[in-house]
Amino acid sequence: MAATFFGEVVKVRSRAVTEEEEDEEEPWAPDNLEDREVRRELERKREVEVLQTQTNLSLEIPLLEQYPCSKFIMAIGNNAVAFLSSFVLNSETWEEIGSTKLWNEWCRTTDTTNLSPTDAFCVFYCLKSDPTVFLCQCSCYVAEDQQYQWLEKVFWSSPNRNLQITVLTSRHVTEYKTPESSCNLPSPFLKALKTQSFQDAACCTLLEQPNIVHDLPAAVLSYCQVWKIPAILYLCYTDIMKLDLVTIEAFKPILGSKSLKGLVENVPHDTEILKKLVTTNEIQSNIYT
Amino acid sequence: MEARYDRAITVFSPDGHLFQVEYAQEAVKKGSTAVGIRGTDIVVLGVEKKSVAKLQDERTVRKICALDDHVCMAFAGLTADARIVVNRARMECQSHKLTVEDPVTVEYITRFIATLKQRYTQSNGRRPFGISALIVGFDDDGIPRLYQTDPSGTYHAWKANAIGRSAKTVREFLEKNYTEDTIATDSEAIKLAIRALLEVVQSGGKNIELAIIRRNQPLKMFSAKEIESQVVDIEKEKEEAEKKKSKKLI
Repeated sequence: MAATFFGEVVKVRSRAVTEEEEDEEEPWAPDNLEDREVRRELERKREVEVLQTQTNLSLEIPLLEQYPCSKFIMAIGNNAVAFLSSFVLNSETWEEIGSTKLWNEWCRTTDTTNLSPTDAFCVFYCLKSDPTVFLCQCSCYVAEDQQYQWLEKVFWSSPNRNLQITVLTSRHVTEYKTPESSCNLPSPFLKALKTQSFQDAACCTLLEQPNIVHDLPAAVLSYCQVWKIPAILYLCYTDIMKLDLVTIEAFKPILGSKSLKGLVENVPHDTEILKKLVTTNEIQSNIYT
Repeated sequence: MEARYDRAITVFSPDGHLFQVEYAQEAVKKGSTAVGIRGTDIVVLGVEKKSVAKLQDERTVRKICALDDHVCMAFAGLTADARIVVNRARMECQSHKLTVEDPVTVEYITRFIATLKQRYTQSNGRRPFGISALIVGFDDDGIPRLYQTDPSGTYHAWKANAIGRSAKTVREFLEKNYTEDTIATDSEAIKLAIRALLEVVQSGGKNIELAIIRRNQPLKMFSAKEIESQVVDIEKEKEEAEKKKSKKLI
């Protein structure tokens, strides 16, 4: 832009800019409008919503602002979810309060407007006897661009410092960096990563450098570290990523931790539920024998 | 960094890895456990049976296959790959018998399978077989043999070994419990195989399949009842051992 002698502001023509480039700068060209529309549509599709079970309506405020929370236990991935389902979650003592609906390329469901209750990917429960204790079962993949949204919609922007968060997840043993060969590793095995403000002892050894945590567990831990919330992640390295009894049982040391104390159900009964869960899943696949 | 070297089977990575072969070894770990034991006068193969769907015919889901009258094998890994390897091995056994007028030795057929597997680690456009096999049998000299092959095409003779999921746990159990006493008699060797599998099989005897070959006798598959009675005996022995232990403590 440049000012003329008469005070008007004109656009300066640049000799470096060709005719075609000038056309592209035109903001209302039909191509740009369509691109923008597509981008907006995609953003809408990828929006993360938290629905309240009672009303089936989207929550306007973060979940933990709506419901005060002192303990938040989260399972990410099918093995961690199966572990909590068998050993902690029991329909009589826990009540479903909400779920998150989200879509990304990894989801199998194509219609995102009419997701049924069984399609809910992250389900939140609260303990009937103590409604400040929350459980989250997350069996879907939350993409990188959706993780911040998920955190915003679930956790408060000014969280309660009395909140304690426990996350359970699993990862393939080949992603574990160690000088030893992965054949010699006693998989499945548990590793822990905690925030600075977490004072209690972990139920297993801490995750050594240069190993890093990925995806939603990393996002949750980062959030907790920033807001100085005591949080611990239990990461199970396993050689079987599908639902597997041995992997699920590797989480058992956590049952003795402070986070899960008082929440554990009858253990032999739980083992039965676990076997049923795994067998139902196993029968479907004939690729490996 | 590995990603650049793991697409083509015929490409080594700068640090000497053949990633496709290593990934094939991961596929083996997805199969259920199989254990092989070489006794004095017996060879035993035990496998963890996969749960079968209600409408599926159980006979079509087999992990133990006879290659000839005196040789059999158990595998862990990709079912379809195993079928191809077993078919080729069976043909080779018959071809050898017709050509040389002698049955194959266990080592010969193991070497044949291992060579087949190795060829697929060095060919363009093919991928390695995603199975490990335990091959057992008796040679003409009456000596029992147990061999193990893996996707890379290597083979080794073993006294006892395990493959598949939780193979490490079973191998550790065998290292502790395989002694001259535990393989002194046929029944002890069979019990050792079942005990090793019970370390990792969750639902007990009904998910175990067992096969034995005795010297100069054909392959024998155990029925579910026979396995169950072995499991009951093992559990009794365990209880008695525990009672003795607690008495000693007192």
